[in-house]
Order: sequence, then C-alpha cells, then structure tokens
Amino acid sequence: MGLVARVLEAAGIATAVLSFIPELTASVGTPRVLGIGYPGSVPFGAPGDADGQRAVLRKSLESAVEMDAPGSRVDLPFVWPGEARVPKPPTPPPIARAIMKRPWLYLKLLRGELP
Amino acid sequence: MAIDGYHFLDGASRRVMRAWEEREPTPDSVPWTPLSKPLSQVGVALVSSAGIALRSQPPFDQGGERVNPWWGDPSHRVIPREAATQDIRIHHLHIDPRPGESDLDSVLPLRRLDELVDAGVVGRSAPRHYSMMGYILDPTELLRDTAPTLAASMIQDEVDLALLVPV
Repeated sequence: MGLVARVLEAAGIATAVLSFIPELTASVGTPRVLGIGYPGSVPFGAPGDADGQRAVLRKSLESAVEMDAPGSRVDLPFVWPGEARVPKPPTPPPIARAIMKRPWLYLKLLRGELP
Repeated sequence: MAIDGYHFLDGASRRVMRAWEEREPTPDSVPWTPLSKPLSQVGVALVSSAGIALRSQPPFDQGGERVNPWWGDPSHRVIPREAATQDIRIHHLHIDPRPGESDLDSVLPLRRLDELVDAGVVGRSAPRHYSMMGYILDPTELLRDTAPTLAASMIQDEVDLALLVPV
C-alpha cells in the first residue's frame, strides 16, 4: 500500500497509510504513515463498535492533515485489548500449505525470490 | 507510543516481513502533495486491501491463488459511497473475512465517514472508494495498472486525501 500511496501522491493526491505494521510500510518511502495497534483483519476496530471505529477514522484523518514532512510517521493511541480475540484466517493460506509441503520454498520467500 | 504490529503475526510471517523490510531499498525521495486545507474542507477516499467486492461484482480470484500460491489477484473494485455490509463479500485468504462481512465499517468505514461529514468534521466523502486484495508478492501489475487508474478517478472525484488501509 505504501507503493500505491507513492503513485497517488506523485499524481497530486495527498495520502496516508493506516498500517498495523508501520515499520514495513515506512520502509518503502511512504509519504504519511499512521501506526495502528489493531490486528490486520480489523484495522478500524471490532465489528459493532461504531464509536471506536469513528475515533480511529477521525484521528487518522486529523493526523494526516497535520503531518507536514514527507516520510512522517505517527502512531495512533489505539491498542487492541489484550483479552480480545485476534481474528485469524479460518484456514491457512495457500502459500502456508505450499511451504509445509516443500519447506525450502520458505527460504525463497524470505529472500523475495518468486518461483 | 510506538506500535509493533509484528506481534499480531505468526513467527514465520513475521520473519518474512522483517526480511522484506530490511531488504527494501531506501528510496531517494518521497513524493509529497501538501494538504493545504482544514479537514472540514477535505474530500476523502478510502482504499482497503481487504479484498472487498460488491456481491454484484466479480470476486477477487482466489482460485488462481490456490493454483499458484505465489500469485495474488492485482485487480481492484470500486466500492460506492452508499455500499453497506449486506452488499459486499470479502475475498482474501490471508485475513479473517468474518469481522468485515459482519460489519463493513471495521475494514472500510463508509458509514463512520458519512457521520464525520454530517458532523462537519470532514469536508466530503468521495462518491467512489476502492478495494484491492493485499496479498500481492509481485506488485508490478498493481503499480502499472491499478494505482494510476485509482489516481485518475480520484482526480475526477476531486479527492484531496486518500486513506489507504492495508490488512
């Protein structure tokens, strides 16, 4: 998403990327990075928590407007409650199953080599 | 407060993503479009990589990824401002689709954005919002085709700020 943000930004649209892995998002030269302490499946918060979702969206947009330097990163003050369930995919994704069958492919993935 | 999102990932995924982060070449420059208006005058579009498609649209291609696990569908879907939870499905094999399918606003907060516009906090919600499917190991097509298409329609819709949300 950071790479897409760079394309949009170069085309004249200001962008912010709300990321649960802000280090990775920032590493590609993303114009504005917002860190969020929620799991990837629910970036704005739990289903049904309208107030929580609105708070994350509002803080994201307010922070984006305030950021004034290329490559800025702001971590938002939202943390997933320790006791709450972390949503996970119901079954392992195809790449995980492929690697279980042929474990040496994991090294390719680590190196970013696509077969 | 510093966020370490890696703790949500399993050990194998964490190692892969850390390796990618370290290998990522630091770009010479970061593109920048200043936002010179207050938020109350800003037009906003949302972009989610949760693999959201309207039920009336073709789903993201999960069959292709099952055949070749190194491939992910690089296309995108336009999600209209009015779309509601019952209008969408989530097609993404790397996240839990159930929270977003039970409440779209947990991944693409279109209703929350409407509320902020109605309250005068945000200027406008764009007529078109977007979803991609985030598991793409080779971003060539995404950057060559999808990203410029999004840019062109956002310019048409007078979007000032795009909030991109990877999952």
